[in-house]
Parts: sequence; C-alpha cells; structure tokens
Amino acid sequence: MIYKALEILDRMAGVERAQAHCDIPCGIYDPITAQIAALTVVRMVDLMHDLAKSHGEQDVAFQNSMSRYVASKEEHAEKAKHEIRVIWGDYIKPNHLEKYPQLHSLTHKIMQLGSKSRQTADREAAVQFVEAINEFAEIFWETKGVATKRAKAPYAPALEVVYPDL
Amino acid sequence: MFKLLKVSGSSLLPKYRDGDFVLVSKIPYLFAPIKPGEVVAFRHTTYGTLIKQVQSVKPGGDEIHVVGTQEHSVDSRHFGAVRKRDLLGKVIWHIKKPAKFAI
Repeated sequence: MIYKALEILDRMAGVERAQAHCDIPCGIYDPITAQIAALTVVRMVDLMHDLAKSHGEQDVAFQNSMSRYVASKEEHAEKAKHEIRVIWGDYIKPNHLEKYPQLHSLTHKIMQLGSKSRQTADREAAVQFVEAINEFAEIFWETKGVATKRAKAPYAPALEVVYPDL
Repeated sequence: MFKLLKVSGSSLLPKYRDGDFVLVSKIPYLFAPIKPGEVVAFRHTTYGTLIKQVQSVKPGGDEIHVVGTQEHSVDSRHFGAVRKRDLLGKVIWHIKKPAKFAI
C-alpha cells in the first residue's frame, strides 16, 4: 500500500535515484588484438605501395582496391589505439605505474604513432607502431607474471611480435 | 532534513533491491555517531547520488569508508572515502518493493 503510493508519487513527481551501482569487470585483457591490428596496418601500407607500383593506370579497379586498403588501415589503426586505451585505462593500476613509470609516455607514443599511421602511408611509422605495442605487451604480461617471447608472425608482414610464453 | 530516494542497481543485494524506496535523514547523526553497518546515501562528484553500507569511519568521523554487499560494487574500494559533508543521511525507513508489484 505504502509502496504503491510512493510509486505513484515517483511517476508523477519523479523521486531521485540513489545508485547502488555495480560494475562488471570481465577481467579479460590481452594486447594481442592491438598487436594484430597494428600488423594489419603495416600489411595495408605494403599492399598500397605494391598496388601503386604494379598499376600504371589509375583506373576504377585501382581506385577501388586502394580505397579498400586505406579504409582497412584506418580501421585497424583505430582499433589498435582503442584496445591499448582500454588496457591502459581499465587494467593498469597505480602499483603498475609505480613499477613501470614509462607506461603513460609509452601509451601516448602508441596513440601518436597510430595517428601517424592513419595520416600517412609511411611504413616506418607503422612498423614503429607495432614495436611500441610490443613493448606495451611485454610490460602487460610482466604485470601478470607471464613470461614472453618474441617470434616472427607466421604471415605477412612477418614482423616480430611479443607473445606470452605459456 | 529528510529525503526520499528510490534505489537503482543491485550492489546492496539481498537487503536492498532495485526499486525499493528509502527515506534518509541526517537527524540521527545529531545524536549518535556514524556506525559501521548502517546504510547511507551520499553525493559523489562522478557517480551522483549513491547508496552504500558503512564499512568503517576514520577517527574524527569525517572520512567514511563505504562498500556494497556485492563483489562488483563500485564503492570506496574504487573511489576512496566519502566525506561526512557529502552525506544525505542514513536510511531511517526502508520501503521494500513487493515481490509481485503491479500498478
């Protein structure tokens, strides 16, 4: 009865909400998504340069392929940046920063290299983007006490990638 | 003096459910100190109006550590202590949502 009266009051006047707020941290963090996305950026840059060399005439087919490569490069550079931001913002805690004070500047460097990879077709910037994310991955796995190894990705562009050594 | 609030969320389950009403007041704190176990509502700059359970009160009484009763509650474990001046009061009346409520 009282509840019903209050519910009517709420519907008419709007009772302020007191949040008994919950968050659901899934706890699943892995830099591999960012690493693969960054490798894709390098791959797209390579495909763009290959296409420009092999295609003398800039016909419709050329425009179509080039547009697709550029779009994919944009998408994957942004995806890599997003994934790193999530790990940095949600997983990294003050005790990690005490031990790895370079994490802020490294994350910032990744953001900058990701943007440069979007703005240009500079392969060197894209390779640096992969390597900066590798450094981030090394620190990330170290915070979890997981050893890492470096191995060449078994697909083009076959750059070195940091993997957890499980 | 008094404030009527509606609970939203599930961090205080099973005691307080989403949709319950609570009447909070600061009047009881004129006569008695804040005690662990009490349920209080307060303002938070990021999260707005929150309702949580008092876990501990720092000697001096100005800093209150609040928690939810659920594992994933967002509370003092995330945002630190709550200041006494941000309190809206303790729950003095809890009007539970009936199990089968339809209006």
